[in-house]
Amino acid sequence: MSVPISIRGVSCSFGSTQALGTVDLEAEPGEFIALVGPSGCGKTTLLRIVADLEAPSTGSVRVGGEPPSQVRRKKMLGLVSQRPAVLPWKRAIDDVVFTQRIARKAGLPADTLLRDFGLGGHERKRPAQLSGGMLQRVNLASAIAHDPALLLMDEPFSALDEMKREELGEWFGRELVVRPRTVLFVTHHIDEAVLLADKVVVFTPAPGRIREIVDIPVPRPRKSTFRSDPLFVRITAHLRELLFEREEAAA
Amino acid sequence: MSTLPERTVASPQPFRAQGSRTGAALGKMLKVALRIVLPVVSIFGLWYGAILWSGLPAFVLPRPEAVLKTLIVDWPLIWEHLLHTLQVAVLGFIMANVVGIGLAVLLVALPIGGLVVMPAAITMRNIPYVVLVSVLALAMGDGIATKVMVVTLAGFFPVLVNTHRGLLAVDPIVLDRMRILDASAWEIFTKVRFPYSLPFIVAAQEITGSASIVIAIAIEWMISRTGLGYLINQAMMQYRGDQVYAVALVAAAISFAVYSLIHYVGDRLNWTEGPDQRR
Repeated sequence: MSVPISIRGVSCSFGSTQALGTVDLEAEPGEFIALVGPSGCGKTTLLRIVADLEAPSTGSVRVGGEPPSQVRRKKMLGLVSQRPAVLPWKRAIDDVVFTQRIARKAGLPADTLLRDFGLGGHERKRPAQLSGGMLQRVNLASAIAHDPALLLMDEPFSALDEMKREELGEWFGRELVVRPRTVLFVTHHIDEAVLLADKVVVFTPAPGRIREIVDIPVPRPRKSTFRSDPLFVRITAHLRELLFEREEAAA
Repeated sequence: MSTLPERTVASPQPFRAQGSRTGAALGKMLKVALRIVLPVVSIFGLWYGAILWSGLPAFVLPRPEAVLKTLIVDWPLIWEHLLHTLQVAVLGFIMANVVGIGLAVLLVALPIGGLVVMPAAITMRNIPYVVLVSVLALAMGDGIATKVMVVTLAGFFPVLVNTHRGLLAVDPIVLDRMRILDASAWEIFTKVRFPYSLPFIVAAQEITGSASIVIAIAIEWMISRTGLGYLINQAMMQYRGDQVYAVALVAAAISFAVYSLIHYVGDRLNWTEGPDQRR
């Protein structure tokens, strides 16, 4: 299950500080949108507005034609943060079941989900007994345990080392083909964005506005060998140009 | 189904020499024995040393064997008064927790309440117990209610402060997760905030638990006609140093037992220190 997103004229200010400039963005059902931009440009704020965790100062957001508050009440949202939001006293399997109990949605069987996430044999371990990569996979499994139509991800792999990040990113790309859903994905890694997303949205420095939306015209999932493809090199070079040009201009 | 393969490496089994297990068990037993023997030796050593060097009379500083003899002979009397003390301490301890945890929950639900509750709590905390006991004894008499109330007033503050801190110690990311799932305030409290605050509440119990015994004895010493405090008072008036020390030993043992029990239960409730948490 996946839903379209429509963001129209959305901006956000905290007191006198404008965190996010005016943004218009559309996402098709099942589309993977990566948001890239300099730190503090408002990517996370936009994600939190779509998640109904912040209110926009102007504009409106519709997810599947409904406001985010309504979508949240229907338990159609999943959130993955940079740091795992797992409960430190719960075993991996209990953490996944916890999501389903709170959401009152059965979703997928927790043990199947954890096995698919490469955590077979680790179901009964607590967070302190898991490695960073495993913990982030428990976090992901818990975030989608209630089968949300829209997955909001805020730098989910940035706390991992380069190898783990690549491994997990590639696997997640395949996972989305098995269980398609719309994804809004905040990242600082241009390569990660190009490897995973259908569209990469480049933000200007704060207060962030959309500078350009770059389409990635290659079907998903993409293997890491795509990194050596001339198209990948061209797109990442263009994205870098967009980001660094803005930073130089700001400087 | 896409499955992320987990890299597995066969872990080499450490070589264990025969008899090393027996040696380890003996070492462990020796460690336990030393933990018991050393404190006893040091306490009695200091005690005998004090008698030798101070030259104080036996009714001020009796010999340990005289105190142990009194403990055995006077045990029925000590036991009777101990039950009174325990009653006051346990009721006061329970009340301190009810008041402390209750106020902490109220402050998290209504943060503005902190403007009223915290100054009052800090003032109450800093009033000398002697004043509290005197005022309450004048108002309510010297019955059990007065004694329980003083133990409550003396013990609720650490519970309030620690529980409040624990309830607010929840990782904001976990709160976001709960909001995304449209969890109710009750679910957030019972399934996230309260478990997060458990290590803080346990730490408060270790203070309040043993303090309840000490405070109960102090109140009995001042106003009561029952309890270990009263017994100490009576023994002093009769120059029965041996009985004072016997009661002190019982009080110390009870305080230590309460502390150990709370520590044991706390270890099992404390998710940061539970045995399953260790790798």
